[in-house]
Amino acid sequence: MFASIDDVIARLAEQGYIASRRIATVIYLASELKKPLLVEGPAGVGKTDLARVLALALGHELIRLQCYEGLDESKALYEWEYAKQLLYTQILKDKIGEVLGGTQGLKAAVERIASQDEVFFSERFILPRPLLRAITSEHPVVLLLDEIDKADAEFEAFLLELLSDFQVTVPELGTFKARTIPLVVLTSNNAREMSDALKRRCLHLYIDFPDRARELEILKIKAPEASEKLAAEVVSVVQSLRRLDLKKTPGISETIDWIKALTLLNVQSLDEELVGETLDAIVKYEGDIRKAQEELREHLRQVRARRGSATASDRDLLN
Amino acid sequence: MQDKLLEFAELLRANGLRVSPAELLDAVGAVARTGLGEREVLRAALASTMVKRAREVPVFEELFELYFSGLGEIIRQTGRAIQRALAMGDREFQEFLEQVERMLRESGRELSELARAILLHNTGELERRLREAARQARLSSIRRPLEENHFAKALERAVGLAELERELNEVRKAIGALPYDAETRERLDTYVGIRIRELQEIIRRYVRLDRQSRDPAARDRSRLSDIGEKSFYHLSEAELDRMRQAVTRLAQRLRNVVAIRRRRGRRGRFDAKRTLRRSLEHGGVPFRLVFDRRKREKPQVVVLCDVSDSVRNASRFMLQFVYSLQDLYSRVRSFVFVADIGEVTEHFRNHDAAQALEAALSGGIVNVYAHSNFGRAFKTFASDHIGAINRRTTVIVMGDARNNWNLPYDSCLREVRQRARQLIWLNPESRSTWGFGDSVMDQYAVHCDLVEECRNLNQLYRVVDRLLPR
Repeated sequence: MFASIDDVIARLAEQGYIASRRIATVIYLASELKKPLLVEGPAGVGKTDLARVLALALGHELIRLQCYEGLDESKALYEWEYAKQLLYTQILKDKIGEVLGGTQGLKAAVERIASQDEVFFSERFILPRPLLRAITSEHPVVLLLDEIDKADAEFEAFLLELLSDFQVTVPELGTFKARTIPLVVLTSNNAREMSDALKRRCLHLYIDFPDRARELEILKIKAPEASEKLAAEVVSVVQSLRRLDLKKTPGISETIDWIKALTLLNVQSLDEELVGETLDAIVKYEGDIRKAQEELREHLRQVRARRGSATASDRDLLN
Repeated sequence: MQDKLLEFAELLRANGLRVSPAELLDAVGAVARTGLGEREVLRAALASTMVKRAREVPVFEELFELYFSGLGEIIRQTGRAIQRALAMGDREFQEFLEQVERMLRESGRELSELARAILLHNTGELERRLREAARQARLSSIRRPLEENHFAKALERAVGLAELERELNEVRKAIGALPYDAETRERLDTYVGIRIRELQEIIRRYVRLDRQSRDPAARDRSRLSDIGEKSFYHLSEAELDRMRQAVTRLAQRLRNVVAIRRRRGRRGRFDAKRTLRRSLEHGGVPFRLVFDRRKREKPQVVVLCDVSDSVRNASRFMLQFVYSLQDLYSRVRSFVFVADIGEVTEHFRNHDAAQALEAALSGGIVNVYAHSNFGRAFKTFASDHIGAINRRTTVIVMGDARNNWNLPYDSCLREVRQRARQLIWLNPESRSTWGFGDSVMDQYAVHCDLVEECRNLNQLYRVVDRLLPR
């Protein structure tokens, strides 16, 4: 676990994640209070990455459950291995015959079998899914429930037991209590409002797009090969794009992709043509691309004008 | 601190945020762990434990500013103002304060703690004393601007302003007797003079800030609960905004309801034949039961919205609502009309709802300043767009049926009805006014399957809910 808020910042930074003081505080509290952490925010601001990096920083295993519509207990928690059970009954046919040997009548035979049935409903035949794995793990883990908003409301209700008491109930076997409390991270894109019951049990962290300085810092770490000048230009373009009303606002991951692509192309400085050609790295919809192009033309014109006046004033100084 | 947090939670609740006791306990636990040293950390700790909805964050931020940082910030601000008045940089000011401390020692005077805190710019101590005074003066019961003066006076008494003034004036006199050069003496004198006035100013600003954070007017900021019953006719700009949010949320809720309904409805009757066939894989043991799958039709919807001035708000939310639910319908087409009729479906496809609505309502599609003419609109619709309607289409008309004494052409509406699956008329006017004046609601009503009053969001929700598959 973390020793302090500064410790969180330092250890996440080691793993290449720049956490603001606010983010670090909430993470520290989640680990201290043993509360699940619900991370919300637009796509591409590093919500999932936060969980991944947390696991690395703590040296814990990351158990990930990707949520989707129709996800149910048997895929999230556990499932009986019917095939294995069947196979065992087939193989053990003789043994079963032996067990049944000497019984009088059907009723007695059923009784005899029933007295043995815990053999078939034991942990041997259970197929643990991510949630059960996280609960029964010997070592502390980080459990990531990704895009929880995609799962159904019923699944959310089912999670409540897990999130508040860190235990799950399997009817045939009883209740499993967590051996070590996992650090649970839930991420949501806000496709749907989470229920109050779930939110009450979680600490809430809203991550928004980073400001210019933080995004530059992130780029320095994620794409160290890019020149500082290019990074500054890219960031200012992306930041101005975010102000537009786009269908899909470019996230940090898009910025990183874009600057990597530009560096591969050996670009030192942005110009209109280049931006037009590589724009689809950051803007993903046809309508958005059109809007973005207009904005960019304007942006680059301003930059040029500023640069022009700068050189002009330099000249003035020289004279 | 617990009292303070409890009070803050009350304040959040009064502003429409739901803070449960469990969450308050979390907040107390969190603050116990992070401490109060740093404002950013305190803010993060409280936000993460007490605010769980992204849209409530701005309200929280505002209240946090008012409630927590208020006094400290005021004190720091006045500190900076004094620094400016004396024309000193940070370093200089620090040195100057040391000089003040020396001066106090040399003058050999016993000062009260409050006076020391003020003269030596001990912001933490000053803040603590003022908070204590505020508690004595029962500042938390302030509500109205008129009470500010009264509470400021009470606070001054509680903190002991009069004695302080006397004390500082004596210090001022004593400065003259000190063996400093004239410039230094003058500077010290000015400084003490400013400090005397300053405390009074701090108290006034503190009282005002505290009153603002409790102002009942500020309270209904984010009350969303009652907006469902609010008539579309009487909405302020801010309410329009909240209404937009509410519409989106209602649409979301409806979508969830429908998703569950669909899943439940998906399973049909037990299919014995297919179950038997499937069981052959398992040696005749019917491991998997097979059920019929019911096919269900998504409704097609054609919306005709009157966008004349009188019903514009109702139409706005109708269109927004239908478009937030687009994926529940197989096809939605929208038309707006005043006297002419025009289709806005394409606009919604290519722009987001807000932009498309603006375009539709600002006169880009049809002239919105004309006089409503339902008859002409229906006639044009029947001749130009009748192909939009087939036997699976639900037609929704939103309008007040105030036809300005024009010909109603209700035969055209009948024609539409005959081709459609159903025709629903939503009237944003109160039911009791239908048929009076130039309203031709009664003539149109005979052709409709359903005529509903639709004056507010809850009524709108009920109507749209009825359109969806069960």
